[in-house]
Amino acid sequence: MKHPILRRRNLTFYISAWIVISLIHVLFLRFSQNIEVLWAFIDSLVFNLLYAAFALSFWYMCKSISIENLKILKLIENHGAAAAFSSLIWFGLSYALLMNIFPVEENYRLFLRGSLVWRIFIGVLFYFLSVAFYYVYIYSVNFKKQLLKEAELKTLVKEAELKSLKFQINPHFIFNSLNSINSLTMSDPQKAGEMTIKLSDYLRFTLSKNEKHKTKLKEEIDSIKLYLDIEKVRFGDKIEYVEEIQDKCLDAQVPSMILQPLFENAIKHGVYESLETVGIKFSCSLNGDYLKVVVENEYDPETSTQKGEGIGLKNIRERLEKTYSKGNLLKIEKESNVFRVKLFIPIVEK
Amino acid sequence: MAKTLNVVIIDDEAPAREVIKNYLKKYDYLRIKAECENGFEGIKAIQEFKPDIIFLDIQMPKIAGFEMLELLQKKPVLVFSTAYDQYAMKAFEVSAADYLLKPYSRERFDEAMNRALTLTNDKPANDKIVNGILKHQDENVDYLERIVVKTGSKISIIPVRKLFWLEAQDDYVMLHSKDGNFLKQKTMKYFESHLDPKEFVRAHRSYIVRISIIKQIELFGKESYRLILSNGQNLPVSRTGHVKLKAILS
Repeated sequence: MKHPILRRRNLTFYISAWIVISLIHVLFLRFSQNIEVLWAFIDSLVFNLLYAAFALSFWYMCKSISIENLKILKLIENHGAAAAFSSLIWFGLSYALLMNIFPVEENYRLFLRGSLVWRIFIGVLFYFLSVAFYYVYIYSVNFKKQLLKEAELKTLVKEAELKSLKFQINPHFIFNSLNSINSLTMSDPQKAGEMTIKLSDYLRFTLSKNEKHKTKLKEEIDSIKLYLDIEKVRFGDKIEYVEEIQDKCLDAQVPSMILQPLFENAIKHGVYESLETVGIKFSCSLNGDYLKVVVENEYDPETSTQKGEGIGLKNIRERLEKTYSKGNLLKIEKESNVFRVKLFIPIVEK
Repeated sequence: MAKTLNVVIIDDEAPAREVIKNYLKKYDYLRIKAECENGFEGIKAIQEFKPDIIFLDIQMPKIAGFEMLELLQKKPVLVFSTAYDQYAMKAFEVSAADYLLKPYSRERFDEAMNRALTLTNDKPANDKIVNGILKHQDENVDYLERIVVKTGSKISIIPVRKLFWLEAQDDYVMLHSKDGNFLKQKTMKYFESHLDPKEFVRAHRSYIVRISIIKQIELFGKESYRLILSNGQNLPVSRTGHVKLKAILS
């Protein structure tokens, strides 16, 4: 934080305030203490000029002694000592200057000596006034910063939520599934019922999960099964699904909704784009400290648009990187007609 | 009604075709000639049965609904359906075509049928709609990834990455590709704007060439140049083409 007074506009204001104080000072000495005008001016000039300079340095005290972290007693202790100390120095310095530089007349010399007590009192008062001003300033700046930060955070959270919703539920999938249900109500009402339940379960699972959370791999797999069941109703035996899952993987913690984009990808580029049956293979195994998850799909390299890392895969790569602070946790392999995505998910002890 | 109308249903999902068949039951003067689960079958069926009305899903494997439209000579009445495709919906809206959003009700389907039946008796209105969709497609599509061509009754899909060079031939463009040569009814201008300029350059009024297969540019005669391709073939270069090539190759 920069010094609040050492800026052009504020400095003018500060100087004007001190001119006013100095004039009051002169009037007080002249009429109440019966000091000659010349001496009243010199006195006012020396004392006030010095204090104006002192008061600027109090800022650094306030900056280093934060009101938020210190107890009130400690605060009073610190500032009380600083106030007394700076007031004494202020008086001592002014006294020495006046005595040594100017040929001081007797009447004024007596007055100066006798003024110690009330000058210290004024010094302390000014000290606390400046400190109060600085603290209010620090507080208001921090408050504004806080507000800005909160607003920024809110928009960030919103964006993230929107983004995750968009990635999680593909509207194309939902509407086509509903269309299948509509069809089944005419041809096979019981199956229509089953499909409705499956779609609901799947959507509920998707909506309940948040990208920041982790889930058991088993739950993820359950939701994928629902998804595949639904797609099987739509595409019949065009999907040939094979899985190979080691039992000991099932309890592993994985970022939630990490599998779904992989399967969506496989279905989109494999099944949607193919005329024949498409094989989708899924395997999970424990490899040392890593859970290895592989999803592969057959595709037609002649006409497919499956080029590599689309937005879905990129999103997963980023999430893994952020969650585990490690790179290279997602690998893509392309063989003649197989597209394969491998995830390496670090096993984290709870 | 005395006149019988032929119908073809094209959708890659069986349940979706079932819905249409079910809703069509009460139209006893309609004959469902074919049910197709992809664009290949669709084109074949259209050529064979010359249907009056086609029910067409927009997202399909290999040949999407719009790519199919390009290949049709006689334009039947089309009843489109889509689950969620904002791009397609936009195309329908600008060309005033009717479309069904899945899932749709029987009432909504009947409404679409009424409109389709009216259009079967109004050829000009129907042509206008179909051409409007094709025009929108041409204007808004990004760089091509594949080109669908019909040679006689055979349909081929040419991935753009297999394309070497293109040559203007009257109203057609000859596509020279790894898989052979194909004629496509489009303009050079269309291809110039729909092929990635990082990959292709229009070297001449009649030629578009893949940049990576250019071996060299040779002075030919006084002020004209010719392109030598990596397979030895050489093609003429126009003056503006030469300027463009120099900028790209340097």
